[in-house]
Amino acid sequence: MRAPLLTLAWKSLVNRSLSVGLTVLAIVLSVSLYLGVEKIRSGVRDSFNSTISDTDLIAGARGGALNLLLYSVFRLGDPTANMGWDSYQLIASAPNVEWTVPISLGDSHRGYRVVGTTTDYFQHYKYGRSRSLELASGRVFQDIHEVVLGAEVARQLSYRIGDSIVLSHGVGDVSFAEHSGHDFAVVGILSPTGTPVDRSVHVSLESIEAIHVGWNTGVAPRAGPAAQAADALTPDSITAVFVGVTSPIQVLGLQRQINTYSGEALSAVMPGVALSQLWDVIGAAETAFTAISFLVIIVGLSGILTALSSGLNERRREMAVLRATGARPRDIFALLVLEAASIAAAGAIIGILVTQIGFALVSGFIRTRYGLDLGGGLGLPEILVLVSVTLAGAVLGAWPAWRAQRNALADGLSIRL
Amino acid sequence: MSVPAILISDLRFSWPGSPDLLDIDRFELGAGESLFLAGASGSGKSTLLGLIAGITPSQRGEVTVLGERMDPQRPARRDANRASQLGVIFQLFNLVPYLSPLENVLLPLRFSPERAARLRAAGLSPEQEACRLLEVLGLDSGGLERASTALSVGQQQRVAAARALLGRPGLVIADEPTSALDHDARDAFLSLLTAECQASGAALLFVSHDRSLAGRFDRAVELDAINRAAVAA
Repeated sequence: MRAPLLTLAWKSLVNRSLSVGLTVLAIVLSVSLYLGVEKIRSGVRDSFNSTISDTDLIAGARGGALNLLLYSVFRLGDPTANMGWDSYQLIASAPNVEWTVPISLGDSHRGYRVVGTTTDYFQHYKYGRSRSLELASGRVFQDIHEVVLGAEVARQLSYRIGDSIVLSHGVGDVSFAEHSGHDFAVVGILSPTGTPVDRSVHVSLESIEAIHVGWNTGVAPRAGPAAQAADALTPDSITAVFVGVTSPIQVLGLQRQINTYSGEALSAVMPGVALSQLWDVIGAAETAFTAISFLVIIVGLSGILTALSSGLNERRREMAVLRATGARPRDIFALLVLEAASIAAAGAIIGILVTQIGFALVSGFIRTRYGLDLGGGLGLPEILVLVSVTLAGAVLGAWPAWRAQRNALADGLSIRL
Repeated sequence: MSVPAILISDLRFSWPGSPDLLDIDRFELGAGESLFLAGASGSGKSTLLGLIAGITPSQRGEVTVLGERMDPQRPARRDANRASQLGVIFQLFNLVPYLSPLENVLLPLRFSPERAARLRAAGLSPEQEACRLLEVLGLDSGGLERASTALSVGQQQRVAAARALLGRPGLVIADEPTSALDHDARDAFLSLLTAECQASGAALLFVSHDRSLAGRFDRAVELDAINRAAVAA
């Protein structure tokens, strides 16, 4: 009995293509919204959790793990204190330490943070699945007064290679204390990464020292800065250091050594652990997104009730004809449930296709513009949506189906005119 | 002698909360016989047809169609029996609007493997037989290509008659099938219906309030005459 009912259900739906089409459209929109939100949500979470990768430890002045992560990686907030250059050198020369990247913060350019670092930064800073920073154009800095811009900085401020910029003291949006007399040449622009690197301005540690000569009092020097020899520009202190170790099993030992170092009050955090702690705090919003888009699916599906119930009275004659030609009451029930499930399944399938095509069209743009990887392809989420939306449609269809069955039994062998 | 098309004995029926609508001591329709059953509307005609067709379960007494009892306890059996042995023609709205005329004629085969089997046993393909019936009943091929809803009432009734006869059921019941037709169309439809029932050996139970048609059938019965509930009322 199944196959004949399936063709009946199909023809019945095609016959009412306008109202059925609108119902399907509502489901398509709600399913697309849900899948879109899910894809962006997981893309953002993955991107966030891999803001920094392959770095085993981040060390800085003693403080909370989240604070250290926020200022060193996300360039938010301010460090409580700096760490001494000698402490940095001790870490850099410790056994099992494969590489270190020092960073020095505190200056800005038109609201974007300046990161003083070494060229090792461009080699060892990794994000995503061990992706390295890439230069969209130009080269890394080699000398003082050379700057490498993050993608967003260059785009927002329309900078190109060869442009000249001035850094400001402090990190406010508008700073009145400019490091005048120190023009920096843009020598490189990085590709988008979807990480705070996009919003950073990178210079060498020596440059940071050079522009602060004479600023010991915290205000701009009265006289112009004297030319400095490069070897006099070794910093006294840095803000934090990214550390890579030779073997993962060394991480905990090194972390303990840094945390208990008696020469200076230092903290070391594992970025992965700190990132997931941070996501726990800010990730509550994602649950709200999921809940809302889930509710939208329910609203979309409820159109099935309207579509089937509104036609029920006109269809009493049709049901009487089907009964007269031998249909059982449960065939009437099954016919309507099949119609409901078909509407839901069609909506889910088209919605999945729309999402796939939509993301295929925009994912390249989103990747280059925001560095966000939106996982493509059909996967478990799509299958789950198809199955559960179809089942939910069938369950919703049971109510009008039951009414139609009851009508058919009550009408007997008479056609209501 | 062969089993009667319909055999009713000691039948009593009332809708919930109402007095007895039907109280029939005995009613019989012979195999292949055509019978005119006359009754005013509200006299219980449609209810009686529902009981015979097995759509409405009987309360007391027995209804037997072509030797098969329409058992009130076994709805699925009644449905299967109806699908196999009965053709039904309504007064109006006989066609499923979203099926073509041809698909409407073939509709019983979806619910009755027996009818399909009888066609196969006779060496007929369902489509051929459906087209033959439609042609015999006077539906031109132009009508076949139109949507069911675009057919005139007379054409719709012919499609319904072809559907009722497809696969040679033993009994055709028709509930006022001509009341929406004009005089000429009615005569033509009646001639074709009775002739085709005779040709296929199906008994015909024809219900109408229009007693001028009674002469075209083997036998005519007044429902009030066999229904004791009507006399009492």
